[in-house]
Amino acid sequence: MPSTKIDINLKIWRQENPDAPGSFQQYSLAGLSTDMSFLEMLDVLNEKLTLEGREPVAFDHDCREGICGMCGAVVNGQPHGPEPGTTLCQLHLRHFRDGDHLVIEPFRARAFRIEKDLVVDRSSLDHIIQAGGYVSVNTGGAVEANTIAIPQQIAEQAMDAAACIGCGACVAACPNASAMLFLGAKVSQLALLPQGHPERRLRALSMVGKMDELGFGNCSNERECEAACPKSISIRHIARLNREFIKAALFAE
Amino acid sequence: MTLGQTVRSSVGQKILMAVSGIMLSLFLVVHGIGNSMTFFGSKAFNAYAEKLHSLGFLVPLFELGLLAVFLLHIFLGLTLFLQNNQARPVRYQMEKSSGGRTPGSRTMPYTGVVILIFLVVHLLNFHFTDHSIPISDIVRNVLRQPIYALFYLSALAVVALHISHGFWSLFQSLGINHPKYNATLRSGSLGAALALSAVFMLIPLCTLLIKEFLR
Amino acid sequence: MILDAKIPDGPLAEKWDRHRFAGKLINPANRRKYTVIVVGSGLAGASAAATLAEHGYQVQVFTMHDSPRRAHSIAAQGGINAAKNYQNDGDSIFRLFYDTIKGGDFRAREANVYRLAQISNSIIDQCVAQGVPFAREYGGSLANRSFGGAQVSRTFYARGQTGQQLLLGAYSALMRQVHLGKVTMHTRREMMDLVVEDGKAKGIVTRDMRTGAISSHAAHAVVLATGGYANVYNLSTNAMSSNVTAVWRAYKRGAFFANPCFVQIHPTCIPVHGDYQSKLTLMSESLRNDGRVWVPGKAGDKRPPGQIPEAERDYYLENKYPGFGNLVPRDVASRNAKEVCDRGRGVGETGLAVYLDFADAINRDGIETIYRRYGNLFQMYAKITDQDPVKQPMMIYPAVHYTMGGLWVDYDLMSTVPGLFVLGEANFSDHGANRLGASALMQGLADGYFILPNTIGAYLSCCTPGAPDGSARIFADTEKEVETQLARLLAVQGKRTVDDIHKELGRLLWDHCGMARNSAGLQQALARIPQIREEFWHNVLIPGAGKELNQSLERAGRLADFLECAELMARDALDRQESCGCHLREESQTEEHEARRDDARYAYVAAWQYRGTGQTPMLHQEPLTFANVTPSQRSYK
Repeated sequence: MPSTKIDINLKIWRQENPDAPGSFQQYSLAGLSTDMSFLEMLDVLNEKLTLEGREPVAFDHDCREGICGMCGAVVNGQPHGPEPGTTLCQLHLRHFRDGDHLVIEPFRARAFRIEKDLVVDRSSLDHIIQAGGYVSVNTGGAVEANTIAIPQQIAEQAMDAAACIGCGACVAACPNASAMLFLGAKVSQLALLPQGHPERRLRALSMVGKMDELGFGNCSNERECEAACPKSISIRHIARLNREFIKAALFAE
Repeated sequence: MTLGQTVRSSVGQKILMAVSGIMLSLFLVVHGIGNSMTFFGSKAFNAYAEKLHSLGFLVPLFELGLLAVFLLHIFLGLTLFLQNNQARPVRYQMEKSSGGRTPGSRTMPYTGVVILIFLVVHLLNFHFTDHSIPISDIVRNVLRQPIYALFYLSALAVVALHISHGFWSLFQSLGINHPKYNATLRSGSLGAALALSAVFMLIPLCTLLIKEFLR
Repeated sequence: MILDAKIPDGPLAEKWDRHRFAGKLINPANRRKYTVIVVGSGLAGASAAATLAEHGYQVQVFTMHDSPRRAHSIAAQGGINAAKNYQNDGDSIFRLFYDTIKGGDFRAREANVYRLAQISNSIIDQCVAQGVPFAREYGGSLANRSFGGAQVSRTFYARGQTGQQLLLGAYSALMRQVHLGKVTMHTRREMMDLVVEDGKAKGIVTRDMRTGAISSHAAHAVVLATGGYANVYNLSTNAMSSNVTAVWRAYKRGAFFANPCFVQIHPTCIPVHGDYQSKLTLMSESLRNDGRVWVPGKAGDKRPPGQIPEAERDYYLENKYPGFGNLVPRDVASRNAKEVCDRGRGVGETGLAVYLDFADAINRDGIETIYRRYGNLFQMYAKITDQDPVKQPMMIYPAVHYTMGGLWVDYDLMSTVPGLFVLGEANFSDHGANRLGASALMQGLADGYFILPNTIGAYLSCCTPGAPDGSARIFADTEKEVETQLARLLAVQGKRTVDDIHKELGRLLWDHCGMARNSAGLQQALARIPQIREEFWHNVLIPGAGKELNQSLERAGRLADFLECAELMARDALDRQESCGCHLREESQTEEHEARRDDARYAYVAAWQYRGTGQTPMLHQEPLTFANVTPSQRSYK
């Protein structure tokens, strides 16, 4: 498909700082190449706003390869836009039609503070990892790498979970702003691998405890997280987290 | 983590929700089997009721247990609903599913409330009533009235919607999710929900439409 | 000044052992009385911070991202090398050492590279212990692949996301130390300057990117792990915010900048498609194993690829290098692609692309086999370009990928400013004039997990424990300089945006200081860069204020430093009148137009010393001697 030019109408959430009231502002962009990425469209808008002497839209982004997890906004109600398994930076305008109206909002959750416009503070996800999303092994204290054999399927499943980029789309998509898919991915990865076993009980309990404390909602198995996840991480990992939690909370000594 | 902390945690509440959900589902199954006696005529149905009441002190014991499970399920549902609402104080202007929600999952708290209202009416109709009349007549008296029959039919449709998500959901909450069985589990849950609801819905339908039903 | 790399005595294989024994240690109970600042939280920064904290030091970590997990190490796809020799295919520490130093075209230190190869095995052990899900064989042992033309299979990988998994491993170790209270995280903080007093590093000045607040942080030692400067070219495979600022401010405070012109250009990237393009995406090099590179034989041939008959195609790599064909090294492939495009034979809308054709491979091996090998890459390509590589050839073009140059460091990874340590891509490092595939991750983690934590003690043992001793005055002065520069930027209020000026700089550098360079072009760049800089300082337009989240201001500050760094790169490139590693110096070619290295005149590390605004920096040479390997000329004919 050769690229064509389209016009897009944008309605973007603008908020000066965490405490300011925000509002939607409308912008129109004409003659955008359909090969352009969504973030490049925002770049074009920002260049235009700057030259007009207006404040450009603040948005987080970095690698633009879909791996750093920095970008993300809700486009017409869907985190990272309408394409499944795609981050905002990898979403191209060819998925939109000429004259489309797009509403762009920041990821919203009590645990995510809005810093400015579309920029949100997701450090709560780091706090969840700090509560136990690791194997407690000091540098140098490792055994030879091939000492423990790990079945290929197990390694692959762990990798499926480990693919999480920490973008927070699961929280943004969850009707309850729950972080269970984020948690599930990490707990599951470390529960699958033998290296994570010594701490698996404590890990599940303390990470869930931290999530609650930070003001995320509860999982109600709506599966929106899985559908919005740019890495298509399965809610199977939430089920494993639930198992880990049950074992730890009810049966561990 | 103490037991108290466990049940207050988000996953703990979900587990309790699932466990109470299982109990209520089992009750529904038993209730459904009992109700299907209606299809064998009023005699069979009344005999079944008699048999139940002859169990003596077990009946109020069971009823109290059931009430407790219901209250727990309702209480947890409300708590979760409120907590979840607070987790996103500012809503999105535009809400659109990314593709995960189902009509059942989307409406869980609301169908729950409808079911609660239905339960009250249902208990008033059949439980807190004059038990000198045979149960088959009580059923007929209520469900021959089109307004009640329609109410029961729509309320039972809501139950179907509620358990269409609830059945599958309780497996997931208890950590039962395996690619080998997931498709079966999902369609099985949906099928069970529909079948069970169908049994219940046939009663008002038959009472309303078939003159001789439960005579 | 004579640059002393402080290479330990003794046989190559024993140097690191001897050095660790000779270095002073700090009593474990005393370590909590030392504060170390780590700037950057990628592979090198996160691994160093976590390990230093495990040792007992108080660590302050600064990152410009909202989370330490965002650093660009995360985007590395291919893998990480180690000399485990699990495949029993002739690998050894010495072979990894030899391959790395040869790959770097004999422009790196023997002792450093050997140490890197020695440590490589411990890195894999450490990462596996952290729960990094490396690819496995059916029997459960770790899988390896051969990468970047290596003769042995020594690359460990986690699908195409090795960098991500290794970074998340280091990140989790770091998060654990945050939880234990040994590391304090400062997110969304950009390092604006290095504080130097009495010639020693005493701390840093940062800007809080949320509020614009400028603040100072004191420490006994400062560790920079801030990555490379490939974004000086504007378009590169680096993340949008990768920048030279931290490194450049350190340079201006006295740290020497080594080999700034050594830049790696990756041959297989998705081509530029329009002037709105913000970054380039790398496609794995493995594609060249089966894809055939070609362009139309005649310039200006605009027919679609399918309509160009076999006889009118030029498979230029196969024709020119029959021995290696499409598998020539990165620099040769890149250079030739640019050459054919410069002659007007490039394809695609912009004419800046060449075909990478899988038709023959699909006919030979079947579509399923090819899809099994490259399926995920084909999907990634299709997602970005909306073209199916099975139906029509891929289009590729070289892109700037990695900078081998960086701050000069000695064997201890300390710069010429005592107390300032530099790790990972930010230092001039072990890759010489070219980096082998899957070696960047190895170096970052070796520096962070194993080298710095073992060398920093020697410096700290000379500092008084307790509160860091920088004077209040020097911090206030440095803060003021930072504030002044920011105010100056905001005051310009000109007519051109930051990105617009950055694009101009990038094009200039790409044309004159890219894969192939010559004296005239470099002189031209050296004349033009100060003009662009002048234009920037008089005509840049930065909306908003300083004391708020202001992404235009952030970018402007970075561009201001790129504009200075670019000049140093051109100057260094002009000085090095030899072809080596990634670069062809047109004046230094064989009769067959191949790169000619000049060991007699250029077997040195070029370390540049800043001498003030408007002054030409001074070149110091650290001679490179090879006692264990014999430098050989590369030949791919």
